[in-house]
Amino acid sequence: MSVDEPHLLELRNVAKHFGGLYALSGLDMHVDRGEIVSVIGPNGAGKSTMFNVVTGLYGPDEGDVLFDGQSIVRFAPNQITRMGIGRTFQTVHLFPNMTVLENAMVGQHSRSRSGVFGAIFRPPGTRREEERIRQRAKESLEFFGSRLAGYRQEQPAFSLSYANRRRLEMARALATDPLLLLLDEPTAGMNPRETIELRDHIVRMRDERGLTVLVIEHDMRVVKGVSDRVIALDYGRKIAEGTYEDVANDPQVIEAYLGTKAAG
Amino acid sequence: MGPVPLRSVLRAGAAGGFVLIFLSLVGLIGRFADLNLVGEQVTLGRVLLFLPPFGAAFLVARPRVVAGERLAAGPGAGAGAGAVTGVVTSALFGAAVAFADWFDVARIRQVFVAASPAVIEFVTFERGVAVGVLILLGLGVVAGALGGLARTGQRRVTGALAAGAFTAILMGLLQRIVPVAMQELGIDPDFLYSGRTRSLTWGGGVGLFVLAGGANVLWHRSGQETREKVRATMAQEPAARTGILVVLLAVLVILPVLLGSVISQVLGSVMVFVLLGLGLNIVVGYAGLLDLGYVAFYAFGAYMMALLTGATLNTTTGSAAPAFSMDLNFYFAIWIVVVLAAGMGLLIGAPVLRLRGDYLAIVTLGLGEIVRVLAESRWLQPVVGGPQGMRGVTNAAIGDYGFRQPQHFYYLALAFVVLAVFVSWRLSASRIGRAWNAMREDEQVANAMGVSTTKYKLLAFAMGGAVGSLGGALFAVQIGSLTPASFQILVSITALAVVILGGLGSLPGVVAGALVLIGLPGLLREFEEFRLLIYGAVLVAIMVLRPQGLLPNVRRMRELHEEEAAQDEWVRRFAEGADEAAAVGALPGGPLGVEQEDLT
Repeated sequence: MSVDEPHLLELRNVAKHFGGLYALSGLDMHVDRGEIVSVIGPNGAGKSTMFNVVTGLYGPDEGDVLFDGQSIVRFAPNQITRMGIGRTFQTVHLFPNMTVLENAMVGQHSRSRSGVFGAIFRPPGTRREEERIRQRAKESLEFFGSRLAGYRQEQPAFSLSYANRRRLEMARALATDPLLLLLDEPTAGMNPRETIELRDHIVRMRDERGLTVLVIEHDMRVVKGVSDRVIALDYGRKIAEGTYEDVANDPQVIEAYLGTKAAG
Repeated sequence: MGPVPLRSVLRAGAAGGFVLIFLSLVGLIGRFADLNLVGEQVTLGRVLLFLPPFGAAFLVARPRVVAGERLAAGPGAGAGAGAVTGVVTSALFGAAVAFADWFDVARIRQVFVAASPAVIEFVTFERGVAVGVLILLGLGVVAGALGGLARTGQRRVTGALAAGAFTAILMGLLQRIVPVAMQELGIDPDFLYSGRTRSLTWGGGVGLFVLAGGANVLWHRSGQETREKVRATMAQEPAARTGILVVLLAVLVILPVLLGSVISQVLGSVMVFVLLGLGLNIVVGYAGLLDLGYVAFYAFGAYMMALLTGATLNTTTGSAAPAFSMDLNFYFAIWIVVVLAAGMGLLIGAPVLRLRGDYLAIVTLGLGEIVRVLAESRWLQPVVGGPQGMRGVTNAAIGDYGFRQPQHFYYLALAFVVLAVFVSWRLSASRIGRAWNAMREDEQVANAMGVSTTKYKLLAFAMGGAVGSLGGALFAVQIGSLTPASFQILVSITALAVVILGGLGSLPGVVAGALVLIGLPGLLREFEEFRLLIYGAVLVAIMVLRPQGLLPNVRRMRELHEEEAAQDEWVRRFAEGADEAAAVGALPGGPLGVEQEDLT
């Protein structure tokens, strides 16, 4: 990578507070193309807040967020999705009464454009687009093998098991055709076998789809298995950054985790 | 009484008794004492006396879940519990009747105007209070036992009996309509309806009962397979669906010819509300934005149509030309109205974009009122006539064929209803419908997945406003004159009730809702004075018994079936999960699978 090329995602001195609570303060970090970066940190460290700032759900109080060199802090979430940032949520947020396939099809919304005229008269262009949306959504679902294939695609999302809901949420994010994918604790609540499976999926997202992945994760086995780089946050600041081994042995990181354990 | 606790028997019985007392005091029973349904013996008043103990017993005999186990009473226990419930109901009512008789009905009448000696006479079967109350107790036992049996008996038998009874009573109620239609068709209705009692003849009533019951038995006997097949054909064969659609349209086209002008008038009003319901369904059912001021679009459509087609202002001395007026052809004006209404949707939508739920409802409620107040105002009097309103709206004539006459108006309204249904259907089954759906389910997440919630909210208000204004414009054509009194808040509430009753997001539901809430009161003029009472009762009953509406959205209906399947699936997977957990112990990294030593 040449020196001139901007980072795919860069946060510069980002701060976000809620009342007197600083969820993020002076956070600098970046993600480069083709990387898988993990963000770790105890509960309340500001990891999810960082995701929400990047995807436009919150505006930062200070600092700037650059995507491919362009500032995105003033854009609405749907515009940021359109630029190429897809995400999942810490607690699963699907559209429970829509079918599995429809959930994924919503992901393609910003990659399609037919409007009222197209909806009512269904000209060939709209039909083709609708077919493309469907295909693209199916591909995203089939990324997870047989888990979300076949008859399941016609079932309402609420009928899925917990792990499948998590997978569907990721498939929906894949269907937005992102350059950068933000995964918020993708293995939370999954059993060990499912966790191992998901670890492979994350690596495949980069290797097969060419995605850059930024993942918040608590399961250290996953962090170790997928990360090119690990960033540790505590109290809204970056306390360590580097390879998994560097970060895992960093005294500040250990202290942050032990502190949480003692308090818990 | 087996699995039926005494407490619920007493409670349901008492509730039934109070319902009977209530029905008598508001006058429903007295009003319908002489409305014959079958012969002279089965009157609506008597049916109303029968229903509360029957219904209370039906509720009491329901299966109960005790500590996770489903306990269903057998027919014997059901009938027994039902009979006791019925006795409690009629005892309470009988006591009230005796009290009224002793206290003097005339004094009660000073408060409850409907309580009269005639009502006492009717509910005691004209045999005096002492004997009458005994008869009431007997009726309670019988009705209660039947109610209990209806819940606990063989499903096939009770289903057939219920279908038969329901059909006979319904046909009895439609005594003004069905004979007229039969005569138009050239069938002599004498074999069904008696000219003297106006009701079904006993032969006709029993015949209908047997026919409907038999049809029910056949439908169930033909078995799951045939029904599945019919359903599958409906779902998969486009030809079958088109065929049904064509037949349906053909029936709709000949309907006014058969039914005469009175009923066509009612159907015309139904269609105006179908249009309102379809528009509101886009806003509430598809996009999930609760709009309580929908009457704004109705009024806007009506007044715009009047102004664009050369209506005049009503004044004390006659009529005057409005300050703004055009004399356009209806078929041109209607599109202008639609486009302007869409624009007004944007105007109303823009300030409320950031509001959700209750707040949105309150603000739109106010906006709806503002439109009516403006129509009444002195300020706009030169344009829309103030409280006196306007007259001389176009009759949308093509050549000499005007559309004000009820049967003609029906066709005009039908054309626009078909158009609005088509547009609604296409919108819902498109990228736009999907975006609305996602927005309704979770606004923030839809936004994060690329849906511009601003754009799609505004679009919902615009499309909903456009469709609703069609209802207003047609209403103006139907009536020919307008006053602000037609645009009360009740219109908004009725339109919302139509959508909710039918099932949010369901197009057949809107039609069904309008037929029930606008059509039935129009057809059964006897009910007119109890209209709001029945509205309330129907809405409460729907919300309690069938919150998804009469004809719910296909997707939601499917969900309700699949919930059971999904649960089975879950249970199965749970069992598998147990094995999985056992297998996990063998995984590297211990049962938790986390290499904790890395961090500690």
